[in-house]
Amino acid sequence: MMSAILLIAIPLLAAFLSILSKKVAPVLLLLVGAANIVLLMFIPSEIINIGGFALPFGINLFLDSYARIALYLVNGLFFIVTLLNVAEYKKLSSILLVALAALNGLLLTGDLFNLFVFLEIAGIAAYLITSTNRKPLSTFNYLVIGTVGSSLYLFGLMILYGMFGTLNLMDMIHEIQTAGVAYGALILPFFLMFIGLGIEAKLLPFNAWVKGILKHSNTLSGPMIASVYAAAISLMFGRLISNLFQFEGKLLTVVVVLLIAGVILGEAMAFASKKGREILLFSSISQACITVLLFVNGIIIWAVYLVIANALSKLVLYLVVNKAAKDLGSDDVDDLQGLFAKNILVGIAFTVAALSVLGLPLFVGFVVKLNYLTQLAVASQFVVIGLILVASIVEGIYFVKLLVKLWYPSEKTINVKFNLPYKAVFAVVTLLIVLFGTYSDPLDSLDNGIDTIQDQIGVIYNG
Amino acid sequence: MIQYAAILLMMIGLYGLLTNRNVIKIIVSLNILEIGLNIFIISIGFVYDGIAPILTSTNNSSALIFVDPLPQALVLTAIVIGVGTTALGLAFVKNIYSKYNTLEIDEVEEV
Repeated sequence: MMSAILLIAIPLLAAFLSILSKKVAPVLLLLVGAANIVLLMFIPSEIINIGGFALPFGINLFLDSYARIALYLVNGLFFIVTLLNVAEYKKLSSILLVALAALNGLLLTGDLFNLFVFLEIAGIAAYLITSTNRKPLSTFNYLVIGTVGSSLYLFGLMILYGMFGTLNLMDMIHEIQTAGVAYGALILPFFLMFIGLGIEAKLLPFNAWVKGILKHSNTLSGPMIASVYAAAISLMFGRLISNLFQFEGKLLTVVVVLLIAGVILGEAMAFASKKGREILLFSSISQACITVLLFVNGIIIWAVYLVIANALSKLVLYLVVNKAAKDLGSDDVDDLQGLFAKNILVGIAFTVAALSVLGLPLFVGFVVKLNYLTQLAVASQFVVIGLILVASIVEGIYFVKLLVKLWYPSEKTINVKFNLPYKAVFAVVTLLIVLFGTYSDPLDSLDNGIDTIQDQIGVIYNG
Repeated sequence: MIQYAAILLMMIGLYGLLTNRNVIKIIVSLNILEIGLNIFIISIGFVYDGIAPILTSTNNSSALIFVDPLPQALVLTAIVIGVGTTALGLAFVKNIYSKYNTLEIDEVEEV
């Protein structure tokens, strides 16, 4: 019988085995990465009580449509990024396997302390992955800020444990709904947990680590942190925001103001930047804030689609810029001028990904943006819509400027060679972005009901 | 009362993190913060007049008042993770020193 626990156990076991043979480790990494995706097709949606202890006494894993979408996305992107980099970063195979186990655990676990453990394991793997940037102080900063973030999350969680006597997510939600505790008493633990997870999710003002890490990223660390980790953390964070936190009153106001500030400042910083990776990292910060903003407003399905669209686009953008930065030794936009003159296919993929992030018609980003703005309008969030549109204009200016620079050749010819696997990945992602941008019916078939935690709580506690 | 002491320790750790510019001192501050948090977790399970949650020949009734064992189990995990993070942090400190010949952040031109 296939069980979701295999998605965590197999990479973890493979990580231990990979230490025994350095030659086998990269093969094991690719095999496990591919096996996880195949395995996911055969695992039924269910709650798995580990050790047979019924909820809320044991740790449980929870696989529903939401977790399944998240797992397909994270495992698929993880496999692509490792496939492109495994030859160059063989030494990191064991660490990447641990990272895969931790990311799958983050998306599956139904226990809030277990989530802290997976957060720390994923964090430790991320610190080691980013150590390949060869900027030890930036990695050290990331470690310190990440550890403070998870400590704050744990602090908030322990306050909740002191109040409700449970660590299980569903049991905690049920206790909060039925115990009749005033929302005021929950503000401190919720805010501590929000800050803790906000650090990992790159939310302003808790994202001081992002610049040092992504500015010096390479073809492994850039897409891994900005695409794979960002998608996993955003989707896990979204689950907690939609089901556990349910912000209201003054806390809602504070959170929305922080997120809107993140959107505007992220775009402004990207606009002011002259370096390729800096532009992308500030754009990522802004997009992360928009995603969380949608989860806070209860627009779950379009937030999930936004995470997927961004993860795919950022994969292409970071791969192109990091490969060019590696070959040319600089990511200054002026130094990258004319990059696409001899790489037309790569240029088309980069342009499609950038325009999709921007939200232009024909690309999936447009469908997502149109729908979440409509949903925000239904919720009468007109100020938020206005500010997002202003941010989009700024985003449009700097992306178009960047594209013009990269397409038009300068007197100095630059030569960056993208090999076939890179081009294949770019082609597939570009096709997906255009396909779902022009044919959006499959996207409309799903709704907020993909997240079934509240339904499960109803079944477990009310029969 | 012990919870106030734990929160004070966490605040001292946070203050150290914000004011120190030496990477070793930052690691020490991080550990003070974690120790404060661990004491806080333990304090959550404290029950006045409670005994250790172990059934023995003399303490063999469920009517006895035991302290909550769960936070003790949780804090063990938190300590192990803290040690791992500290070890990794120190490895990065060694890298910083090897590359820049200093432990002072202000003397490193990286960020």
